[in-house]
Amino acid sequence: MNQVNIPNVKIAVIDDDLLARDFVVTVLMYCVNRDVLSFDNGLAAWKHIEDYESFDIIISEIDVFGLNGFELMAKFKKKSPDKKCLLMSDNPANEQRARNSGADAFLAKPVSVNDLFDVVQTFVVRG
Amino acid sequence: MIKLGPEPVEMRAMSDDDIFSSRLKLLIIMAKAYLKDCPLGNYRKKAIIENANHVFYHSLHMVSESLNLKNDGFDFQAGIASKEKTSEEHLFHQRVQLLAVMAKALAEDRFKGHFRKKALTDNLNKICEALIFKFQIQEVDFLKVA
Repeated sequence: MNQVNIPNVKIAVIDDDLLARDFVVTVLMYCVNRDVLSFDNGLAAWKHIEDYESFDIIISEIDVFGLNGFELMAKFKKKSPDKKCLLMSDNPANEQRARNSGADAFLAKPVSVNDLFDVVQTFVVRG
Repeated sequence: MIKLGPEPVEMRAMSDDDIFSSRLKLLIIMAKAYLKDCPLGNYRKKAIIENANHVFYHSLHMVSESLNLKNDGFDFQAGIASKEKTSEEHLFHQRVQLLAVMAKALAEDRFKGHFRKKALTDNLNKICEALIFKFQIQEVDFLKVA
């Protein structure tokens, strides 16, 4: 069996849908056994990044107020080009736009537990 | 870019039912991981408690909504076959609520003893049978480290 390792990863989840956001946070917190911060809009997440700390991974719904997912990703990638940005949406038209904008992953809604396990396996786990 | 999730035709906003079924699957995985001695860190415990609370109250809400419909005269499920189905659903929700209580207890280090683990295993098996849900902890390496 390969020995896997979960590094000290900092993750933020941005979604204005409280139930969906809390679900994603619970799955990720369980998987990585680290705190996962959440925000209900892109601007609050960006202010946190500027004022306090940045993240290794942000997972943002595209249609949120303040800064939408694309705008937040553009700022985040400019500040931290090596960090990961994953965009979520229930609108199929957003997939190609996410690809063109440089997102590391597109999570189609409804998001499942397995999808989030795949996120952890792909972007967090080492070894 | 990698793409995860359903095909475009199946994409939609997450409903309460989507969240409940996903959280229930997560609770099953959490309990199975515990039975396989996967390590529990503080944040994992916190996630288990939050998830157990959500599943418990949502299940309770679903049961009381179904009762309210009946009391309001909206009992569409007359007939023996339907009553059996209602009874199965009731039992299923009781098992789900029991699982939530068990999960909360294990996250709070209050779940000791061989027979409690056996009861948890039996309850999990019955719920997974009803959901036709199969999951092998062996498939997810990162749950074995915290």
